[in-house]
Amino acid sequence: MREIELKVNGLRRKLGVADDELLLDVLRREFGATSVREGCGVGACGACTALVGGKSVSTCLSRAARFDGAEITTADGLPADDEVVDEFVANRAMQCGYCIPGFVMMAHELLGENPQPTDEEVVEHLEGNICRCGTYSEIHAAIKAAAARRAARNERATA
Amino acid sequence: MTAYHYPTTLDETCALLDDGEDTMVYGGGTAVQILLKQGVLFATDLVDIGGVPGLDEITETSKGLRVGPLVTLRRMETSPIVRRVAPLAAEVYSRVANPRVRNTASVGGNIAHGDYRLDPPTALMVLDATVELTSRRGSRKVPAREFFVDFQQTALEHGELVSAIEIPSQPESAGAHFAKLSSLAANDWPAASAAALVVERSRGKRDVRLGLGALSHVPVFLQFEASADTSVDDVVGAAKEAATPLLDPIPDVRGSSDYKRRLGLVAVEEAVRNSWKGGSDDHRRVSIFGRRRR
Amino acid sequence: MTTVESRSSVAAVGERWARVDGRAKVRGELRYAADQPVRPCLDVALHRSTRPHAKITAIDTSRALAAEGVVAVVTGADLYAEFGDRLMTGPAFSDQPCLAYGKVRYVGEPIVAVIAHGAKQAREAAELIEVSYDELEPVHDVDKAVQGAPFVHDELRPSIVFGDLKHLRGKRDTNVNYEYNLRKGDPSSVSGTTVSYDFWCPPTHHVPIELPYAAAWCEGERLELLATTQTPSYVRQSLADLLDLPLNRVRVRTAPLGGSFGAKMYDRLEPLVAALAWTQKMAVKITATREEAFLLTTRHGCAVAGSMTADENGMIVASTSDVRYDTGAYADVGPRITAKSGLVAPGPYKIENVRVRSRCVYTNKPSAGPFRGFGVPQVTWAHESLADELARQLGEDPVEFRRRNMLREGDVAPVGTPMHSADFLGSLDAVTEAIGWGTPFVKQEGTLVRGRGVAVGVKAVLTPTISNAVVQLNQDGSASLLISTIDMGQGSDTIMAQIAAEVLCLGEGDVRVVQADTDVTPYDTITAGSRSTYHTGNAVRLAAENMRDKLVELAAERFGVAATDIKLTSDGLVSAQTQETVSVSELLHGHFGARGTTLTAEANFTTSWQPYDHENGLSPQVTEHWFAGAAAVQLTVDTATGRVHIEHLAVAGDVGHAINPAMVEQQLSGAAIMGIGHALFDQMVFDEGQILNGTLLDYQLPSIKDMPDKLTPIIIESPHRTGPFGAKGVGETTIIPLAPAIANAVRDATGVRITQLPLTPERILTALEEQS
Repeated sequence: MREIELKVNGLRRKLGVADDELLLDVLRREFGATSVREGCGVGACGACTALVGGKSVSTCLSRAARFDGAEITTADGLPADDEVVDEFVANRAMQCGYCIPGFVMMAHELLGENPQPTDEEVVEHLEGNICRCGTYSEIHAAIKAAAARRAARNERATA
Repeated sequence: MTAYHYPTTLDETCALLDDGEDTMVYGGGTAVQILLKQGVLFATDLVDIGGVPGLDEITETSKGLRVGPLVTLRRMETSPIVRRVAPLAAEVYSRVANPRVRNTASVGGNIAHGDYRLDPPTALMVLDATVELTSRRGSRKVPAREFFVDFQQTALEHGELVSAIEIPSQPESAGAHFAKLSSLAANDWPAASAAALVVERSRGKRDVRLGLGALSHVPVFLQFEASADTSVDDVVGAAKEAATPLLDPIPDVRGSSDYKRRLGLVAVEEAVRNSWKGGSDDHRRVSIFGRRRR
Repeated sequence: MTTVESRSSVAAVGERWARVDGRAKVRGELRYAADQPVRPCLDVALHRSTRPHAKITAIDTSRALAAEGVVAVVTGADLYAEFGDRLMTGPAFSDQPCLAYGKVRYVGEPIVAVIAHGAKQAREAAELIEVSYDELEPVHDVDKAVQGAPFVHDELRPSIVFGDLKHLRGKRDTNVNYEYNLRKGDPSSVSGTTVSYDFWCPPTHHVPIELPYAAAWCEGERLELLATTQTPSYVRQSLADLLDLPLNRVRVRTAPLGGSFGAKMYDRLEPLVAALAWTQKMAVKITATREEAFLLTTRHGCAVAGSMTADENGMIVASTSDVRYDTGAYADVGPRITAKSGLVAPGPYKIENVRVRSRCVYTNKPSAGPFRGFGVPQVTWAHESLADELARQLGEDPVEFRRRNMLREGDVAPVGTPMHSADFLGSLDAVTEAIGWGTPFVKQEGTLVRGRGVAVGVKAVLTPTISNAVVQLNQDGSASLLISTIDMGQGSDTIMAQIAAEVLCLGEGDVRVVQADTDVTPYDTITAGSRSTYHTGNAVRLAAENMRDKLVELAAERFGVAATDIKLTSDGLVSAQTQETVSVSELLHGHFGARGTTLTAEANFTTSWQPYDHENGLSPQVTEHWFAGAAAVQLTVDTATGRVHIEHLAVAGDVGHAINPAMVEQQLSGAAIMGIGHALFDQMVFDEGQILNGTLLDYQLPSIKDMPDKLTPIIIESPHRTGPFGAKGVGETTIIPLAPAIANAVRDATGVRITQLPLTPERILTALEEQS
């Protein structure tokens, strides 16, 4: 067992975890994070994606013990007015919905690093996430729309 | 039962690695987790080096770069220093798996895994990188070109860890290209890959260096000399001829040996054609293989 | 013809309403089955067979029983002692035990269940079990299995679900568990230009990203279960049969599904957890790992030996198909697939001389079951490759050739049933126009060669089936809809709400669909086969109409006028005579004298058919309706690598009338993208019965990088005379013609005809080499 401290969606908690316990299981059990899900268990589908310090992580491949002191964000913990979420909703970027929070978090990481990604950059960033329903066009459009909305907001702020 | 250890110094790490029966370093953890999940990892002790300070640094040295084993693949891709000093390395690291895996997977673990299909060894070999191995007995340096010994077997011995990778500066005049070809879904592992580095020598000569991935049971390195006025077609021909006897791909769901051999020569051609500067038929360097990654 | 109901204000049907659960899905707050609160459950892990075909001679569970955290270890033999032959479940044949006893029939078949505190403890203990085997000769290949011994099962055991399989009971010494024959005219009597090939589609997997999950416990004298299933009504009956309980002592709860595509229906994990919970009196749960999910069910591998003949006028005069479906170790619904696909094996063409022989064959592989398309993509692979090649051999444009031969409204299909609301022509014309069929294009650029291809597909909807719906209108004017359709991403919770809202003049958000729960929601055959919009949609429409009639009655009473004088509008009920208006809320308050009351109306919708003749396979009404779809593609083939790149893919489906065009487009696109995978790389690879690529590191699925440069979904609407507002389903329509459209474009680009899926670069290069 390891004693660690995690800050998940703004909530700081000390907790004990087994050496081999996965971050995925800890987030679901201890923090009620329903948006991280096992889809493949090998980092190939992206359904378990969370952001750790702004970087995307496959929580199904991550031992929780490794994340002492980390700040973690999951899709269910995003603010109510999150632009990326709004644009996914507006662009109908969901079918069964199971994989979508993973795409949302990848989009957050991308836009954090690269506020105006090209189409190719969007594709490159999402290549490790699988939407079996085939919602890729809508997801792509949603990310471009979120980027445009952020740019417009920033322009207003600096004007 | 596997025991986990959490050393906080390099010395402690080396002691743990040496003392255990079947020890393994836990670096980024991506490969180890997959092996654990598949029930094919039988280590008695996993030594988690996440708490050892100083292992995640990229340092510019007089000769090039010194990269700590815990540097993530993603940092190799995005670091301005790596992009400036060894742009081919930055490019090749950017092509591994997907951004999320690259955020976690580490430079040291990546090569220690010893998978014959990995992208980074192709660049490390053509850039003539050196792998520093440290144990209780001290440190030793192994050229990347000699590090991959056999199928999923590296020069690492019991008690050793990869403590750094040293990558010499890529000459500014050198031409470089990485070709990665998948045979199934576009985001799949490569069925063939090739990194080429063309280095200017004195008296109008050039070294053509090639690192090949997924084309044998280990990453393959080869080089040959060509004069700078050789036409690109002739250089491509020479590269294919030099590579051919070295190709011995493992057949799997991604293709037969024959197919991969053939694809390997396509990768060699793409890499050489796009890294050979000058010549009379420059226009053909516009990638004839279509889009970069699609 | 259908009439779209007139209404005085906002419309619901035909509108692009947002998914009712869209935001919850994006934020990850929607609770799928494994997120639902249930009582604390012990975890189940399985010890699986390492042999494809063997007698179990001994099982040593002692080390597992002694392991930390283990509560119980249960073998197939233990369950057989308890349940006898009732342990054998399955929709067509009662041939599959949830834990093997006596014999194993595929690598990975569960033999022993370990129940423990914690999934990890259970899994580790399961590895400590030792099973001794007496090996039997396995049969892996469908054609070898057709010929004779070894036999996967000693005798055939038809279930009581499908009465027409009764005659097969007790049949021995065969691996062929079902055969469908279509005989019309005499193909050997005609002459002309004939093309014939042997085709192959490999087994594939559905890979919904949500993993299969089931939990079960006893609630007093009852068995309760929560599972990832698209067939709650079926599961309730299956578990009642297994446990020998009346239906009201079995409760099946469901949740929205994270995709399914046919993977989560009939008997998957449900009989196992039910049997364990019932015999051990424990609450238990299991979530399959991805590797285990690959073993639960697959899409049938399928061999087709086919031919097509045209006369000198370019009319198709004969078609033959010898179809063999590899159903693996257990039949599941394979016999139904064999028949339903056999009857459309000639394709959507007018053909006088047809012979189809379609067989369902046991082999020692994981069981194959329903998959989006229900076997039809496999026969379409054959008939659309044949039609294309025939056109080319006749020197004809493949589109014109198809147009001339296609079934049109009122034409009788080879199976004997007339066509209605199946606009093949409109679908084909739409997709070819979209990609610019007939316009010039650059054939070659460097190593790239370019080509175009088309294909069409036809499928019959599952018939006969039953749907029920209950509408509860609340006193405040909101409504709850009780149906047993499962929303698995197709959007049924939104579409059904739109249908009810249209009839009851309600707005977006006013109708909520209650999650299917067999204690609460009424019987519905299954959520599958693109049947829900038409069947459950009709039940919803009828229930809503009954509700409207009740409201009209109440208003007529209130105003003292005739019911014919009352009209329901979005403002409430209006009397034409007195010009009085009363809101639904006031009307119900007045009627019941209380707030919060509910008014209930219900309806049933059942379809019927005329079973096909067992000799000639013909029926004047083999199905309630048809699905018609088409795909056209422009692509390049890299002659250096063999790789295909899709530049433009257009797909179209006749949906009758689109209840929600946005969701119809998503189904058209989504099925097409899944079809791209099947065409180019998606397949399960076996070696001696062992899956070689049963993880997502190796199993290939289309990613965003595999998307065509352009994808155009096109809705075709030829309203169905009895569809709800003219509507039909759409979930499968465009996956059906996808693979042959791509292969036909590869043929156009390279000149080579490839008859085996998927069209891997290696296969293409090999074919190019053989050609030159």
